[in-house]
Amino acid sequence: MDKPSHISVILDLSPSQWHLSSLPENPHPLSLRSFLSQLLAFLNLHIASKHENTLAVFGAFPSKSVMLYSSTDPEADNTENVNPNMYHPFQVVDSRVVTRIEEELESLDQSEEEAPIGLVGALTKALCYINRIIHPSASQSSGTTSEDPTTLPDPRILVLSVSPDLSTSYIPIMNSIFSAQKLKVVIDVCKVYGPDTVFLEQAAHLTGGSYIYLDRRDALLQHLIMSHMPSPALRKLMTVPTQDKIDFRAACFCHKNIVDIGFVCSVCLSIFCAPVPVCSTCRTKFPIKTLQRLNASRPPGLKPANGALKTAPSTPHTRGPSTPR
Amino acid sequence: MPPSTVCTAKASYKKAPGLLELTDTHLQWSQDGKKAPSIRVPYAELASLFCSKEGAAQVRLKVGLVSDDAGHNFTFTSPQPVALSERETFKRELTNIIARNRSTAEPTTPKPVIATSPITPVSNGHPPPLRPSGAATPALPPPISRAASVVSSGGTPGPGGAVSASDFKLRKKVLVNNPELATLHRELVMTGQITEAEFWEGREHLLAAQAAADSQKRGRPGALVDPRPQTVEGGDIKIVITPQLVHDIFEEFPIVAKAYNENVPKPLNEADFWKRYFQSKLFHAHRASIRSSATQNVVKDDPIFDKYLEKEDNELEPRRQRDEEVEIFIDLGATQEDHDVTGNEKDITMQAGKQKGVLPLIRKFNEHSERLLKSALGEDGPTTKRRRIDDDASHLRDYYAQIDIEDLHDLQDTTGIILEMQDRQRYFEGGMKSAASEDASKHEIDIKVALREAKDNLHDWAGALSNLKLEKKAADASVVAMTQNVQARLTTKTRKNDIPEGLFRQMRTCQTAANEFLRQFWSSVYPPLSDLQSANPPTPAQKAAKAAKMAGYLAKTHEKVEALVRTAHAEGIDPERVRVAMKPLTDAVDQALTFHRTRKPVNAK
Ligand SMILES: [Zn+2]
Ligand SMILES: [Zn+2]
Repeated sequence: MDKPSHISVILDLSPSQWHLSSLPENPHPLSLRSFLSQLLAFLNLHIASKHENTLAVFGAFPSKSVMLYSSTDPEADNTENVNPNMYHPFQVVDSRVVTRIEEELESLDQSEEEAPIGLVGALTKALCYINRIIHPSASQSSGTTSEDPTTLPDPRILVLSVSPDLSTSYIPIMNSIFSAQKLKVVIDVCKVYGPDTVFLEQAAHLTGGSYIYLDRRDALLQHLIMSHMPSPALRKLMTVPTQDKIDFRAACFCHKNIVDIGFVCSVCLSIFCAPVPVCSTCRTKFPIKTLQRLNASRPPGLKPANGALKTAPSTPHTRGPSTPR
Repeated sequence: MPPSTVCTAKASYKKAPGLLELTDTHLQWSQDGKKAPSIRVPYAELASLFCSKEGAAQVRLKVGLVSDDAGHNFTFTSPQPVALSERETFKRELTNIIARNRSTAEPTTPKPVIATSPITPVSNGHPPPLRPSGAATPALPPPISRAASVVSSGGTPGPGGAVSASDFKLRKKVLVNNPELATLHRELVMTGQITEAEFWEGREHLLAAQAAADSQKRGRPGALVDPRPQTVEGGDIKIVITPQLVHDIFEEFPIVAKAYNENVPKPLNEADFWKRYFQSKLFHAHRASIRSSATQNVVKDDPIFDKYLEKEDNELEPRRQRDEEVEIFIDLGATQEDHDVTGNEKDITMQAGKQKGVLPLIRKFNEHSERLLKSALGEDGPTTKRRRIDDDASHLRDYYAQIDIEDLHDLQDTTGIILEMQDRQRYFEGGMKSAASEDASKHEIDIKVALREAKDNLHDWAGALSNLKLEKKAADASVVAMTQNVQARLTTKTRKNDIPEGLFRQMRTCQTAANEFLRQFWSSVYPPLSDLQSANPPTPAQKAAKAAKMAGYLAKTHEKVEALVRTAHAEGIDPERVRVAMKPLTDAVDQALTFHRTRKPVNAK
């Protein structure tokens, strides 16, 4: 009936963000411990729901990203203290994931400031991993898993995010989105803590995944099951919740202002809020006549102060409220 | 009612003094003392116009006709200054008429319009009456070309200016071809909400495209002339002969033209000629396919036509030898003598005349193609295209240049453009840091504490997992929220549109009208799409006036929407649905109005 499915789960494990998330003044505080229990329950559910389902877990830590677990990783079988009251495969996954997180946290260097989160690395690794498992013939040398092309899993990525957007990662994230589109990988996002992230909103939207902002954080497991459990194939029959408003307006490249009408470089498509003599991205020089014409016919109210381009942009508001489209 | 006169002047024709008149339908000249004009030329006949040099002894005007290039010569007989200005008036009027004729001329008989005059060029100091389009060479018949170089017939279809008849025609055509635009035009212009000129402003490209499409001339059809007989009852066949068909047959088969000249009207009349031709062997030899065998039975011996039968063109040497030198690079025979030396096998795939039966057909096709090509290039006379080819031919000896294909050159200088956003860091970090640091500063996180806390949280994960339970209240709340999310999307997808058609149409009308006002508003605020579209762009004051006018219209949108809402209420439709449907529109209108208000003070100073 339905194909086996694969989830690559990406865990955002920024200690400081988790600290903030657990603070009691939050409407529904969520500690890392509680998060992990609910997550593990979800992972077990995924493995149990179909025998052929596969799973990979990636951790995004400050300044690094690692694979914590994968169904195709033989190492995962070495488990110590076996709990007789637990289904063995669950135990393998659970202990492996937690142990690896512990190891990685242990090896974090203790600097004054927390380094930027390695979300892009984790996302890229997940994409590479998926690329490998959906093209088994090219990479699989020995038969660790017997993968018949007809039973290849339907792959998707689930990002559990607690950190805000990291602006420098805009371009790599966009590139990851394009790769995901090409691989036909759906990216689901569950924003567990913190403000909405525009990049992940777009990642979910552009890959056909669903973006959930977790309101009731005390009901994380419920959200995971209802929104992220059904495989992409199943979602054709079964609607899953997702966010219905995304801000698609463009920001000018010069001040990052959201513009309704901008001026676009005819060579590289950079967007500017006012006509510029030279494109700051591709250095194309525009004809002075065009510039004059554009400036002359611009509404007087919109003409920028001359110094506007030089002064550092003052951006009191990060983003305008997202407008429903 | 007598025709109204556009202009008049004293002028002589063939040395006889008289009065030259331009009415609203004709150009006419009457000799002094005579009542009826002796020359009367309808507008449609006017094809060209020539003037004598300024400063010449006589002020003359020559009008060429569609049917007669020689046309008529008039000499203005008033004293010079008066005569000159009179002629200027005629020139202006006639130029417009000719331009209009030219744009509506039948595609088959394109007539050149003056650019240079055989008599004298148009005076300096004055702009030429018509913008010569491309290199007009009136001495030669114009090449039949698919892409004629006509741009627009006089005057830009810009805003403000008087609308010439040809522009009007163009607009009409655009509207006819574009029902949606026509509806908009009907709703906005015909009801007087905006002016005709305003409507077309910003749509110049549509007119330009139409003008370009109109000026495209149909080339010769590529099909071989092959009249298909229709069988009628009694086994007879019927071929309908049109003048076009006759023309095509004569052109394709000169031998038939020859036969026609020699035998019509004597001994054959026209009808008999064609009747016998279509039954003759000659006709069947001309057919484009071997289908002729099917109608073999009607082929008769014909003493007249059989004289014109040519021998089947199926010898190894074609009957009609090409007189051109074969280019060495496409001549298969050119390297024949080397074959023994190099050990190449003799080419057996391309043997001319291997199948004798197809030779006549192949040759017929080739000749046909050649004729077509020649007609496209303009067979008689050195047109530009032809000259270009001849130029190329003069370089034939430069063999290296011939095999030097540009596409195969290694592209040396494609370093490309490096896209590097200036201050990328600043750009991306700009806004977001504030959010992050805001959080951070609020809580003064000690990274070490946070890390320790994280590790602590991992202890006894197994215990936490086995004690995991979901709060019922939280789970229920999230289920409800998620269900609502899904439901909202589902209902919009499945709900039927049950708004009555009348109301729905009013909503659409309101929407299109407001959209047009918005378009007009923003186009009067923002730069035009390109420099080229309008020769005389509106002044800032004009633009401001227009923006204000449009803002005035837009301001009424809310009223209109409210009226719709009331109608909905009266018809038992949930008014909220109408309001929601119109919301994007009212939002857009508000945006424009807010913009208009805030910008005004700056404008006023
Ligand atoms: Zn800007
Ligand atoms: Zn550029």
